[in-house]
Amino acid sequence: MEQKELIRYIEENFKYNKKIQKIDEKQFSITVEKDKILNILSFLKLIDFKQLALITAVDWIKENKFEVVYILFSYSHVQQILVKTFIDRDKPEIETIKTLWEVASMYERDVHEFFGIDFIGNDDKRPLILHNWKDKPPLRKDFDSLKYSNKIFGKFKKDEEND
Amino acid sequence: MVNNYIIRFLFAAFLSIILGLLYMGIGRKYIARIRRCYAGPFYQSYIDVIKLFSKKSISHNWIMDFGVMMGFAGIIATVIFLPIGPFTVFPDMKGNLIVIMYFMTIGYLGMAMGVAASGNPNATIGIARALALMVGYEIPFALAVILLVFVNKSSLLADIITTQQGSILHWNAFRYPFAFVGSLIALQGMLGEQPFDAMIAPAEIASGPMVELSGKFLGFGFLQHGAQIFLETGIIAAMFLGGGTFLGFFSKQLFLYLITLSIAAVFPRYRFEDAVKFFWIIPTSLVLVQLLIFLI
Amino acid sequence: MLLTSTKDLKDKGFEEILNFFRKKSLWMLHYCTGCGAVELPPTMTSRWDMERFGMGPMATPRQADLLLITGYLSVKSLKRVIYTYEQMQEPKWVIAFGSCPINGGIYYDSYSVINRLALYLPVDLSIEGCMPRPEAIIDGFTKLMKQIDKGEAIGYKKYKENYEWYKKNQREVLERTTPVLEQEE
Repeated sequence: MEQKELIRYIEENFKYNKKIQKIDEKQFSITVEKDKILNILSFLKLIDFKQLALITAVDWIKENKFEVVYILFSYSHVQQILVKTFIDRDKPEIETIKTLWEVASMYERDVHEFFGIDFIGNDDKRPLILHNWKDKPPLRKDFDSLKYSNKIFGKFKKDEEND
Repeated sequence: MVNNYIIRFLFAAFLSIILGLLYMGIGRKYIARIRRCYAGPFYQSYIDVIKLFSKKSISHNWIMDFGVMMGFAGIIATVIFLPIGPFTVFPDMKGNLIVIMYFMTIGYLGMAMGVAASGNPNATIGIARALALMVGYEIPFALAVILLVFVNKSSLLADIITTQQGSILHWNAFRYPFAFVGSLIALQGMLGEQPFDAMIAPAEIASGPMVELSGKFLGFGFLQHGAQIFLETGIIAAMFLGGGTFLGFFSKQLFLYLITLSIAAVFPRYRFEDAVKFFWIIPTSLVLVQLLIFLI
Repeated sequence: MLLTSTKDLKDKGFEEILNFFRKKSLWMLHYCTGCGAVELPPTMTSRWDMERFGMGPMATPRQADLLLITGYLSVKSLKRVIYTYEQMQEPKWVIAFGSCPINGGIYYDSYSVINRLALYLPVDLSIEGCMPRPEAIIDGFTKLMKQIDKGEAIGYKKYKENYEWYKKNQREVLERTTPVLEQEE
C-alpha cells in the first residue's frame, strides 16, 4: 500500500485515541496512549509490519515524561512506522511486548539499562553493555556525564607530569 | 669413530638450521619484492630467533616442553638420512626414502602433543588441520616415491641421485615431469604455504599450533620450520633435481623454495577439507598418469 | 667475585647485546577497537612498509612484544586489555595511539571511556594525533627502538614494581561497589 492509503486504513480501523504524523515519504509516526501499546503493535503486525527494528526512549525532562519509541518496518509496504507513547517519569513502567516479538526482550533490557524504564513482564534485567554500573542510568538528562568522567577517570591537568 | 659420527651429526643439524633460517630470510625478502615492498635484511630470521630465545616464556606442563622438543628433534633426526649434496651423516645408510617418510611424521606428532597439552582450543584445531592435511599430501608424494623406487629398483636416495648424473636431461624432473609437478604441489602442502596454510590461518584461529607458544617455545618452532624447509626442499631436490655438489644442492633447494613462495605470494587459502580433496585429485592423478606412462 | 662479575655481565653487557636484537625484531599485537586501526594496514603494507624495521603483526599476546592500543578504550575493553597485557611475556611494551588514551580526546566527558591509559597500564610511548598518520606512527616506532637500545623503555619493570598502585587504579574503575556521583570529593 501507498503511505496515504496506509494512514487512512489505520485511521479507519484502529479505533482508540491516536495521532498520526507524516515524517517523510517513507515513514510516519503514531502516538498512542500507554495502555494501548500492545493493541497498536499487534494491529500493525497483522498488516505486515513484521520487523521490530528498535525500541528506544527519549527523556523529556521538562515535561517530566519518558517517550518510548518502537520502530517497525514493513518489507511489503516499504514503510517505517514510529509508534510512540508517553509514560510518567516518576513511575517509569510499561508493559513488555516480548510476547509479540521475541527480540524485544533484548531491546527492553537495553532500554532498562540506559533509561531505567521497567518493562512489566520482562524479568531479564541483567546488565547488557555497561560494566559494573552503580549510578543512575546514564542516558537520563539529569545524569552529569562530565562530572562522572572527571570523578572516576581523573581530570586531565595541563601541567601534569607524564611519566 | 663414534666421535666422528657425533661431529658429522652436529654439522648436519647446524647446517640445516642455519641454512633453513637463511632460506626463510631470503624468502621473506622475495615475497616482499613480489608485493613491491622491501622487508628487512636477509638475516632477519636470525634476529627473530635470538630475540625469541631472550624472551621469558611460559610453559603449561612438562608434556608441552617435551612435545615441542620432540617436534624439533623429529625434524633434526630426519636430516640425518638426507644426503646433503655429497655429504651424509652415516655414509652406509644412503638415505632410505621409506625411513625418511616415517621420520617426517614424528615432527608433526611431537608438535601435536606439545600444543594439545597447551590447552588452547585454537591450537588443537590447528594441529588437527595439519594432520588432516598430511593425509592429503602424503598420497601424491608417496606415489612419486613408489614411481622412483620402481624405476631405480632401490629406495635409497643415494642410488636415485646416482642414476641422474651425467647431463641435466637425466634429471628425474625432465624424465618424469608429471610426477615432478605433483611432488611440487605436495611440497607446497608440506611447507604449509598458501594455498594450504589453513592450519596456521592467523586471522581465523590465531596462528593455529603456535597460538600458545611464547619465547623459547616459539623459537624452537622457528628452528623447526627452518630445518623443515631445508629437509623437504632437500628431499625433492635429491629425488628430482639430481642432488649435486654442496653449492649446487643448496641453490637447487633455494630454487624449489622460491617456486613455492611465488605460488604462496599470490594465492588465498583453501579450506582444509577442500585442500585434502585437491591433493587427492590433481597431484595424485598427475603422478598416476606418470606411473601409467612408465608402465606402458 | 666471580659470581658478581658474571651477574654484572648478565645484567649489563648481555642485556645490551640482547636489546639490539629486541629493537630489530618488534612483533606487535594491535588491539583494534578504536579508529587508529585504520592507519595500520597502510603502515604495514607496501606504501610505508613497516617490515623494513623487522616489525610485523602477530596473532596472539603470547608471541607479541608490543601492544598497540589504537584509540579509545571503554571500561569493558580496558578489562580485556589488562588481561592481554598480563598474558604477554617480558620484555613487553605498550604504545598508546592518538589522543584518546592520552587524555580522553573527544570522549573526555564520556561515562564509559577512560581518560588516561597511563593510570592503568605502563605506557612506554604515546603517539599523539587524531588519528596519527603512518609517518607519525613510524616516527614513534623508531623512537621506541632508540629507547629500547638505550635500555630506557622499562615500562614492564615499572608495572611490576608499582603493581599495587596500578591494581588500585584498575580496581577503582572495574570493581567499585558504590555509586560514583554520590561520593564526597
